[in-house]
Amino acid sequence: MRSAALQRAALTLAGAVVAVLLAFVVSSAAIVIAGGSPVTALQAMFDFGETTVAVVNAVTQMLNRATPLFIAGLAVAIGFRMNLFNIGVEGQYRIAAIVAAFVGGQLALPAPIHLTVIILVAMVTGGLYALVPAMLKVYRGVNEVISTIMLNFIALSMAAYLVRGPFAGGQEEGLTTSTPPLPPSGQFPNANFLFQMFGLPAPRGTGLWGFLLVAVLVGVVIWVLLERTRFGFEIRASGLNGPAALASGVNPRQMVISAMVLSGAVAGLIGLPEILGRTYSYGTGFTPQLGFLGIAVALLGRNKPLGIALAALLFAFLDRAATPLQFADIPPSVVSIIQGAIVLMVVIAGEVTRRIALRQEERRAAAGAAAPAPAGVNA
Amino acid sequence: MLRKRFGRLAVTTLAGAMLMAVTACGGGGDTGATSASPGASDAGAGSGLKVGLAFDVGGRGDKSFNDSAYAGLERAKTELGADIRELSPAGDGSNRGAMLQQLADAGYNPIIAVGFAYEPELKTVAAEYPDVQFAIVDAGSVGPNVTGLTFAEQQGSYLAGVAAAAKTKTNHIGFVGGPESKLIQKFEAGYVAGAKATKPDIKIDISYLGADGDFAAFKAPDKGKIAAEKMYQAGADIVYHASGDSGQGVFQAAAAAGADKWAIGVDSDQAQTVKEPELQKIILTSMLKRVDNGVFEFIKANKGGAKGGQTVAYDLKVDGVGLSTTGDHLSDVQAQIDEAKQKIISGEITVPETP
Amino acid sequence: MSTSSETLKPARSAVELEGITKRFPGVVANHDVRITVEPGTVHAIVGENGAGKSTLMKILYGMQRPDEGRIRVNGEEVVFRTPGDAIRAGIGMVHQHFMLADNLTVLENVVLGAEPKKAGRLDLATARARLAELAEAHGLRVDPDRLVEDLGVGDRQRVEILKVLYRGARILILDEPTAVLVPQEVQELFANLRELKAGGLTVIFISHKLDEVLHIADAITVIRRGTTVASVLPGDVTARRLAELMVGSELPTPQTRESTVTDRVVLGLHGVTVTGGDRTVLSEVTFPVRAGEVVGVAGVEGNGQTELIAAIMGLRPLAAGRITLAEEDVSTWSTRRRREAGIAYVPEDRHREGLLLEAPLWENRVLGHQTRPPARRGPWIDRAASRKDTERIVAEYDVRTPSVDTLALALSGGNQQKLIVGREMSGDPKVLIAAHPTRGVDVGAQSAIWGHLRDARAAGLAVLLVSADLDELIGLSDTLYVIYRGRFVADLDPSQVTPEQLGGYMTGAIAKDQP
Repeated sequence: MRSAALQRAALTLAGAVVAVLLAFVVSSAAIVIAGGSPVTALQAMFDFGETTVAVVNAVTQMLNRATPLFIAGLAVAIGFRMNLFNIGVEGQYRIAAIVAAFVGGQLALPAPIHLTVIILVAMVTGGLYALVPAMLKVYRGVNEVISTIMLNFIALSMAAYLVRGPFAGGQEEGLTTSTPPLPPSGQFPNANFLFQMFGLPAPRGTGLWGFLLVAVLVGVVIWVLLERTRFGFEIRASGLNGPAALASGVNPRQMVISAMVLSGAVAGLIGLPEILGRTYSYGTGFTPQLGFLGIAVALLGRNKPLGIALAALLFAFLDRAATPLQFADIPPSVVSIIQGAIVLMVVIAGEVTRRIALRQEERRAAAGAAAPAPAGVNA
Repeated sequence: MLRKRFGRLAVTTLAGAMLMAVTACGGGGDTGATSASPGASDAGAGSGLKVGLAFDVGGRGDKSFNDSAYAGLERAKTELGADIRELSPAGDGSNRGAMLQQLADAGYNPIIAVGFAYEPELKTVAAEYPDVQFAIVDAGSVGPNVTGLTFAEQQGSYLAGVAAAAKTKTNHIGFVGGPESKLIQKFEAGYVAGAKATKPDIKIDISYLGADGDFAAFKAPDKGKIAAEKMYQAGADIVYHASGDSGQGVFQAAAAAGADKWAIGVDSDQAQTVKEPELQKIILTSMLKRVDNGVFEFIKANKGGAKGGQTVAYDLKVDGVGLSTTGDHLSDVQAQIDEAKQKIISGEITVPETP
Repeated sequence: MSTSSETLKPARSAVELEGITKRFPGVVANHDVRITVEPGTVHAIVGENGAGKSTLMKILYGMQRPDEGRIRVNGEEVVFRTPGDAIRAGIGMVHQHFMLADNLTVLENVVLGAEPKKAGRLDLATARARLAELAEAHGLRVDPDRLVEDLGVGDRQRVEILKVLYRGARILILDEPTAVLVPQEVQELFANLRELKAGGLTVIFISHKLDEVLHIADAITVIRRGTTVASVLPGDVTARRLAELMVGSELPTPQTRESTVTDRVVLGLHGVTVTGGDRTVLSEVTFPVRAGEVVGVAGVEGNGQTELIAAIMGLRPLAAGRITLAEEDVSTWSTRRRREAGIAYVPEDRHREGLLLEAPLWENRVLGHQTRPPARRGPWIDRAASRKDTERIVAEYDVRTPSVDTLALALSGGNQQKLIVGREMSGDPKVLIAAHPTRGVDVGAQSAIWGHLRDARAAGLAVLLVSADLDELIGLSDTLYVIYRGRFVADLDPSQVTPEQLGGYMTGAIAKDQP
């Protein structure tokens, strides 16, 4: 068995290497067509700057991007694990973000309690917003893909209305609006000490968002929940084989509701790294689309927390590379092609290696079963 | 979900490999072994003036707002010998702040942020780089080293409204906006006021392509087309758009709607920036928002040693906004337009900024 | 066996199958099948479920290729690689489960996949004329412009037949066409078949409903255990004789053994009724299962067995009646609660209800036991204990696998089934519901599973055994019921039962209370 695991690892490694190589071939073709040089492009992608400070800044930028993507991937994956397509993460996180930012802006509490309240408000709001499609599915048989897409539109418009209307706060100058700013007790301390621990300089600006640590914690909790608990087993069983889960005593209604609400609660956290770490309010410039990106991140990470973390880092790495590539005179549209090519190749390679590994496993099992049958089984 | 067991390893190893490569490269840069960053390497060829410009979502090629800004940048290149670098943000605009930082890090000064969406980010970044001069288009100054470049869109739109009302044969016109933000509402407010002042009983259809904050509405020609098609079918014969790249769809709808259907462009002289001849033909006029002038004047002033901290307003008085005359479709109503323009300049008419 | 058709073999039979053999890994599905179908007749092929009828039809329709043997159509030898080849040879298939697009009209459905084109455009006018002509010629009344979703079952079947005719079929295969029809519709179908026959078409009619077969067929071929055992004319046989042919002349004799049946009722069904849609699929079923007793349920598939099991497992609600477990009424309990109370379940389709194919064996051990030790420890899944217990099952039940981390899908059917039986026997169940526990497994695994069931019975387990395998039923059961159209129609003693009785009850040839 151990040797089998080793073999599997070698196979996946080979697949990953081939995927990256292929992605670079496809991207290079696109770059050459656009009149650039693939070598320059590669250099640009991996160019994190010349000084230690620049590298720290670049890494910070990447991690700050990866944090919400990771949480988004987790939120989507919880549903995907049981074949529940929560496309509504987009709407859930926006509605949760604005409500949490507004509530946080109204309160004056000691910092730890203040932050806990904001986080809880976000999770409850996201969970409640996800409860709607869950109830519709369980009691009315409404497909969750349809209902969550529709609820996304509602959430987007509602957030746009709230930020300009009832939840608007402070300055009326300018063209942007936002909720009232969070007091200092509602701002998450940065995590620059992580760099300082290694004797590196602190990044500039708002630094490394401290919410990264919360995200890691959430990742670990979700991993434990999905991989180690009865609840996680039932979620996975429902996803792998619904009728078998039903026959094993899993209550499908209860599972749909709890998985959907959990997914929505985690989705509620997606906007918090930005709000608690940099903007300290929900404004018109709030980063959109993270819920949809979360779908790609979850697929790439194969719905496993560790895989999602790595997928989020890959996405963040590619997003960060967008600017250096433009510095290298690669048109921004080619940057999107490169990103798409890498994701596509990784997914293809993953699927191919998975199939090869399955076939190998079947062969091994067949070889194991070919041993002579013990006599006298027949009673 | 057929990806249970082996996927994790695949992605693990892949991302591991990528991260290792990242570390290796970052480390290499650290020792100073590599050459200067590609963007900076061709600097110094001109006057030593390095101008950075960050586009709004939609980016270069929208034949409208962003392209107008770029025209100003290019003019700085030819007339002032500036070394220029322009960047487009990610589709969701999440790296606006990072782009400004990267331009500053690469030694660009001044740096122009195109679009009011940069306002919160610029506030932070400008404070981080007090030695760099910034400008922001469509927003007021947010720091001692930030110059605000604002435009009286409502005034130019008022003239567009006068032109549309004077030219319509069906007494029915339309307006297609991008996201329903305060900025785009300025266009709507001016347009409606101008049209109503000319023909009080005129029918005006208003449609926005997205909610406030939905910057994708600037990049959705399909949505623009559907919205405009509906208006033309309902009897409107002139549709004004303030929707960036989405305006392409409005023009297509006008061209497809048949004879005597017109569209009014925005920001740039779109009868010239649009490539397709059949679309050029249906553009009645464009509400010019001289972002190019604003950008160029800012660069020029900066070169002369001007510092930021104040907001420059471009209105009708300084020809910061106006109507284009390409195609000469407005000559019969030019007198009406000029009269309105004079009244605005003289203060006789105050154009509202909100609908 | 009477082989009357052999004597009059004309030069050009419509279909002639000669020595058809088809093997699947570990199983021989068809063995030396010989059938001759005369043109312009309705030829019935009868046999029990699992006798090999559907494999044979798949071969004739080009969906599978025989390992041995020859197929001749209208006297010419043919080789079918795909159903397309069969269609070109004039063979059409009307499937038991209709393959129609609900949101298209009758006409659109008929032309779907064989669209008439004129200058590259769909030519519905020609198609409409052709459809009208076919419907007229064969008396198949349908409105070409109605949506299929608005049609009843009988109409849909006519659409399927028209679809086949439209593609030029002269030989029609109808797979259990009456299974979904009510009696009047059956009469209509038979009228249509007679019209088709009069029009010179040949119909191959697959069924196990003997009275219908005797009513409509011109010739009958009986299949048992994958091979043709008799070709008879309807006038020469009775329903009882046909049933006997289907089931076999000899039934297996039960193993001599001591009865372990106690008088303690573990599972009791009292007037259990289940409805599906507006039909009653299980009707007032009452019987006890005692500790140490194996209760067998025989019947042709689709007569309510699935619903019976689903009702006991809490997967389908009862319309009436109640179910007791050790004298406690469990009718309203959830599936989980029933399982925790000691009902174990070997499902009829292990891939559908029994396994997580893409999960390792030890996780499959957890399935259905996730609320009980050793799989559970507080809110956690106890991985170590689950693995260890899976290793125990692998050893005790002789599951051939490289390790307990192997994915379930890598195992052969027999080993998968042994794992399921081992799992369900874990945790001291009080009653075992076993549905077709040895279906599709090799002989070795079969006898091993039978051995385990006997041992469990001897240890006092109450077993409800639903099966289509008469060897299994007679070999294991202490009490044998026959289910027919959702009702228990006979209570038989497995050591006394005759093939005639069993076949008669199963096919409805003998009515209730007529021993």
